[in-house]
Amino acid sequence: MSEIRLQVNDICKYFGITKALEHVSFNIAKGEVHALIGENGSGKSTLTNSLAGIYQKDSGTFTLDGKEVNPANQVEANNEGISIIVQELGTLDGLTVAENIFLGHEDKFVKCGIKNTNAMNRKATELLKQYGFDRIKAADMIENYNFEDRKLVEIVKATYFKPKILVIDETTTALSGEGREELYKHMNRIREEGDTVIFISHDLPEILRLSDTITVLRDGIYIDTVKSSDIDEEGLKKLMVGREVSGKYYRADYGEEISDEVVMKVENVTVPGLISDISFDLHKGEILGFGGLSESGMHEVGKACFGASFDREGKVTLADGTEINDIPSAISHSIAYTSKDRDNESLVMNQSIRDNICLPSLDELSNKAGLLSDKKLYEFAGIHAKTMSTKMQSVDQFVSNLSGGNKQKVVLARWIGKDSDILVLDSPTRGIDVKVKQDIYQLMDKMRKEGKSIIMISEELMELIGMCDRIIIMKDGRINGELMRDENMDENVLISKMV
Amino acid sequence: MNASNEMTGKKLSAKTKGYLLLFLMVIVSWGIFKVITPNNFGSAKNMVSYFEASLLAAVGAVGFYFVMVMGMFDFSIGANIILSAIVGCVFANRFGMGYVGLVLGAILTGALVGFLNGAFYVKLRIPSMIVTTGLALIYESVANYIAGGVEQTLPSGLRAFGQMPGNLILAVCAFAVAYLLLNYTKIGTYTYAIGSNEFVAKNMGIKVNAYKILAFVISGAFLGVMAVLTISYGSSMVAVTGMASMSRNFIPTMGCFFGLAFKKYGMPIAAIIIGEFVINIIFFGFIALGAPTAIQDVITGFALLIIVMLTTKVAKGEIVK
Repeated sequence: MSEIRLQVNDICKYFGITKALEHVSFNIAKGEVHALIGENGSGKSTLTNSLAGIYQKDSGTFTLDGKEVNPANQVEANNEGISIIVQELGTLDGLTVAENIFLGHEDKFVKCGIKNTNAMNRKATELLKQYGFDRIKAADMIENYNFEDRKLVEIVKATYFKPKILVIDETTTALSGEGREELYKHMNRIREEGDTVIFISHDLPEILRLSDTITVLRDGIYIDTVKSSDIDEEGLKKLMVGREVSGKYYRADYGEEISDEVVMKVENVTVPGLISDISFDLHKGEILGFGGLSESGMHEVGKACFGASFDREGKVTLADGTEINDIPSAISHSIAYTSKDRDNESLVMNQSIRDNICLPSLDELSNKAGLLSDKKLYEFAGIHAKTMSTKMQSVDQFVSNLSGGNKQKVVLARWIGKDSDILVLDSPTRGIDVKVKQDIYQLMDKMRKEGKSIIMISEELMELIGMCDRIIIMKDGRINGELMRDENMDENVLISKMV
Repeated sequence: MNASNEMTGKKLSAKTKGYLLLFLMVIVSWGIFKVITPNNFGSAKNMVSYFEASLLAAVGAVGFYFVMVMGMFDFSIGANIILSAIVGCVFANRFGMGYVGLVLGAILTGALVGFLNGAFYVKLRIPSMIVTTGLALIYESVANYIAGGVEQTLPSGLRAFGQMPGNLILAVCAFAVAYLLLNYTKIGTYTYAIGSNEFVAKNMGIKVNAYKILAFVISGAFLGVMAVLTISYGSSMVAVTGMASMSRNFIPTMGCFFGLAFKKYGMPIAAIIIGEFVINIIFFGFIALGAPTAIQDVITGFALLIIVMLTTKVAKGEIVK
């Protein structure tokens, strides 16, 4: 039996009346990658955030190398040898790369109250070089870099001091293949040095490939800890969901004819610097996939179709000849859009589930005098939140308190309520567990059968292959290939057109 | 990313670009009034006096910048200046403490006012605008009480900070301290961190509330220095009531907007100093023209909006509140 690094003992955490963690206890060994899995809202992030000082647990203890730890914030956690890379952006605008790396640890560069910026930059440059991230400059303002590079800076920040435990919370979805490889490399290094990685991901093949041990949580309760070598994907799904997940994950149909009826025509659409000369037709009842590398321009295609792009050239026309040039006209013509950046672009975080679901449907919900009835709003939000099986106390609950998957359910419930005919779904399953994914796939299939048309933009190639009638591959802002639904299609065909 | 070198290049050129923009504003604002009223505006001597006058507000603005970057606001700037100037004057004059009383009295009073602003804001958890508006009424009344309803005049022997080189020395010292705090201490880093994302800053172990109070204290102390310069320049100070002190908020706040607009060029302090100079050129230009005050205010207001709009250049899609 490996030596124990961390004992999680009887941890409880409540958010109001929501029980996020209930008496969770298990051990994590030295020198292992220990995966933490579970459905959205199962308590994985709550547990690791409590360990890393972001949240304060209500009861229970964390014992690290025999010593109880109870950090009040991330810096105290760092000092105990615990660090975390969070799911969303963890770097701060207005500071340089070096200042972000050493935020909270400036004292080592301060003498008599004066900060030695040059020494800080030198040290940061040295670290960035060591990590192979030379292209990132220590003295540059962090906002000069894109999301992925900023995640790489977070990797340096979280690991340069050789923590005993590194928590990686659903970070890989934010990284491209190259970024992921860098992260994997550092995970392996940490394991080889005898330290521990707690790895949270919804990508089960990735979990099985990278981790040594897997702990499963469900609804805030500890379920089991298993060796990765002793279990397969189906077994993990069963542990996560609590029952067999039916084999019907993606669509099972092949060879269905796509309708000739064009519901949206995109002609020569260009958004300077992002996409160039994009043309395609979307048919009734079709799921049209867009794939490519993160920076290929595919995400901008979704925005362009929804009238949300700036300086867009070219035309987006509906079957009745209506041109879509702005968001209000898109919504009034039954187009829905979910952004990849759920928290910032799709949800009003400090508003209730009710307000978020009702937002685009207020015209329909108001009476002739333009007044809204509370009863009607509650009913409307309640029905659609339930349709999506959103885990919530009530529709009055703030969206900011929901887990990633449940937030996505709220976004989808909003557009189901609006009964949109064309749905542009950008990364609809990003950061979402296997059960919710299955729900979303089934919902998409149902909508398709009802004659609704869907544009699905995704970095997950398997879901594109499994769900789409056609897949358009983007590269460098242009269309680089189109593939029809085929039972024998594999990822390599898509990858060859992406890179 | 091959863009990294370009990025470094861009950063270097950004600073230069910032300075060029600011100097262009100086030249354009000077040029316009020089053309309209060539005889009584804009000589070299005049420009020096405009610059001297701009130092007053610039000193207050660099301090206020710490508060604004954190996303807070202060409506008690004017009341603070009046109270600090009156206390400084009383210390120097009535208590016979001379320059030491003037400078220390004003700065300490300013810092105390800043501390109260920060402490009330943090403890009451009320928006800073509301807290400072309420407190401004109190500071005005306290100033009025200390002054006994009488105009406080600084003796002629204690007015060295109202003219060259005293005013310049004091202002340069204040700018140097602000620059040092912003770039070479933890305070500067934490100021930007809190302004960027308070929640993450807190998670990094930063005592957010303590640093917010500190920002108000720094701002208050700089407003204290501004009070010294103001009473030395004008030789006296009247304690007003009924929020009449609010009119003194305007010019330091405008300078601060310059600082925020040029933050991306990495030169906020310089932008505040040159920005206040531009504001004064416009102000004295109108005086040279003999324009009525109402017209002056309208055009100055528009000039501010145009300058900030042209320099801020918000990215498309970026939300502005």
